[in-house]
Amino acid sequence: MKIFGYSFFALACSFLFSVEEVDQNILLDPSLRLNGLQVQKAFSGMSELAIKSTVKLMRNDKVLAHGTLVDPRGFVVSKASDCIGARSLVTNEGLSFPVKVRKRHEGCDLVLLEILNDRSDWPFVEFSEKNVSMVSKWAISASPDLSEIRIGIFGAPSRKIGREGGVMGVVLHEKSEELNGVLVAEVIPHSAADRAGLKTGDRILKVDRRSVKSPKQINQAMQEKDPGDLILLEISRDQKNSDIRVTLGHRSVTFDLFNRNILMSGPISKRRDNFPTILQHDIPLEYNHMGGPVFNLEGECVGINIARVDRVTNYAIPSYLIGPILSEWVEN
Amino acid sequence: MKQFLITFFAGLMIPVSLLSSAIKAWEKESPSGYEDLLEIEAQIATTFDRTKQAVVSIETNDGAGSGVIVSADGLVLTAAHVIGKRGKKLTVILHDGKKFSALSLGGSVFSDAGMLRMDTNETFGFASLAEVKESKLADWCYALGHPNGFNESRGQVLRVGRIIGKQDETMQTDCRLLGGDSGGPLFNLKGQVIGIHSRISQLPDENFHIPTETFLSNWDFFMNEEFLSDKKLADGGFLGVASSWTEDGLTILAIVPQSPAEKYGLQKGDLLISIDGIALDSREKLAIYVATKLPGDSVVIEFQRDERTMSVKVPLISRNQKE
Repeated sequence: MKIFGYSFFALACSFLFSVEEVDQNILLDPSLRLNGLQVQKAFSGMSELAIKSTVKLMRNDKVLAHGTLVDPRGFVVSKASDCIGARSLVTNEGLSFPVKVRKRHEGCDLVLLEILNDRSDWPFVEFSEKNVSMVSKWAISASPDLSEIRIGIFGAPSRKIGREGGVMGVVLHEKSEELNGVLVAEVIPHSAADRAGLKTGDRILKVDRRSVKSPKQINQAMQEKDPGDLILLEISRDQKNSDIRVTLGHRSVTFDLFNRNILMSGPISKRRDNFPTILQHDIPLEYNHMGGPVFNLEGECVGINIARVDRVTNYAIPSYLIGPILSEWVEN
Repeated sequence: MKQFLITFFAGLMIPVSLLSSAIKAWEKESPSGYEDLLEIEAQIATTFDRTKQAVVSIETNDGAGSGVIVSADGLVLTAAHVIGKRGKKLTVILHDGKKFSALSLGGSVFSDAGMLRMDTNETFGFASLAEVKESKLADWCYALGHPNGFNESRGQVLRVGRIIGKQDETMQTDCRLLGGDSGGPLFNLKGQVIGIHSRISQLPDENFHIPTETFLSNWDFFMNEEFLSDKKLADGGFLGVASSWTEDGLTILAIVPQSPAEKYGLQKGDLLISIDGIALDSREKLAIYVATKLPGDSVVIEFQRDERTMSVKVPLISRNQKE
């Protein structure tokens, strides 16, 4: 599907024949923009907390993610799937400490890390227990280098983000004929099915050794799988049956290969689906700044950033979900 | 004399203090703290309750964009590149998911302004348009739209920013846009439409919008289902002036060498007043008028130079003839 927003008016520009000479557009001083220094100053009441309670999780010299300090004894919560291999953290003051992973929560993609240090006066956030609409409220997180804050807005209702599921990358023939199996009408170029050698005109007879008669049955089988899972197909081609192994791909990568919104976004989070509830905001962050806290104007921590979805969209797990998970973790 | 001075100053100070207490948080150069930010947040929330009902998603046979309803009978402002041409069948999806079929009216590739009308007798909630020159640099604003098309559980998305540039048929803000937002509305904090999203910049926070003034200046042209296409712009008449709106009016910034404008004596710095008796209130009005004429047609241009008003009849050429 074509999404509008990218036309560049070459002809309109050529009409002006010398844009440089004509352009007298005066742009607003950067300090007065949404994320400018003047506007940041207005948030000074809560910016220190935002910066001090956020840490950078590191593997060697590489920033894997941000993290949220949640306990004065030195516990940090972050995005689990981005923290694999995290050995240390760096604070806003540039101090480095070793960390160890203690707990994981698969459903929310959260991880609990312990700072291996005797200090017991770590700054920390308290999670708001309120479950109220955040739409049109300010959203504040620490900047990538933890030197200042970044400002955005909660721009869409909190909601569940369903599972993406694995895909082969084929278009199946809807009409069932007398023959067995399901006809492959099209194989998406560079998809998992294409790489596995599936071809247009093949007939899928079995998925994981179970006979299939309709596209619906195949789709149901796919829905139980994740991207990266392996499936075994029995197919018929030129009256000969054979087995093909397909390592399933991501839906967004397979079908949106040429989706320009994704192309223009730069790197985004690997896991950005299958969350019980998310808050949506547009704070300018990158994929390796997930895991840090997001605050409201009152300085309450209302969530933990969990996924960079595209160039202007982040998801956060709301605090009222994190509180109970944390209590359970700490009790153990 | 002393007494007089004191009275004078006292008289001056009262209105100033009244004025300062009346300034809204979003009218300050920059918010000064928590109270101002809270006021801005509350103002956005209040107007958003109303404005969101006028925002629509637009589906064409090959894509998705956004738009805003501006009349009770279903007139929608959008971007020209969303509708593509006049008389095109489209589907409009309201904020609550209700669908209506629609037909594109006019538009212009010059500014990217476009219009369509829903094909129904229903009455709709609609947004009001800001007046000419109402919006200016540094104003707080918010963008609404349906990025990536209509999504039932998500609905429209709200982004906040400030006007970072405004000149002729282009306005820039740091509201963060995405494909599919195109054609969606930009609101000021009074809840009036001040622009329509046109194209996204490579930088997420320097996106482009069509100011409402562009629609107002060419309203009849768009309503009459006329569309200034790339082809029309290339094949229509050619005058050879580069102009821009300044404090004085529509000012010639440069003249194309060997163009009719040069041959008939128009000069850099001249103020363009009217063309064939039609007052010029925007650069695009001139562009549309000239491009809808044919090479060989003549136009009468009234202009002002050194405070003297003059007029000249200029035969247009074709764009290729110039090259």
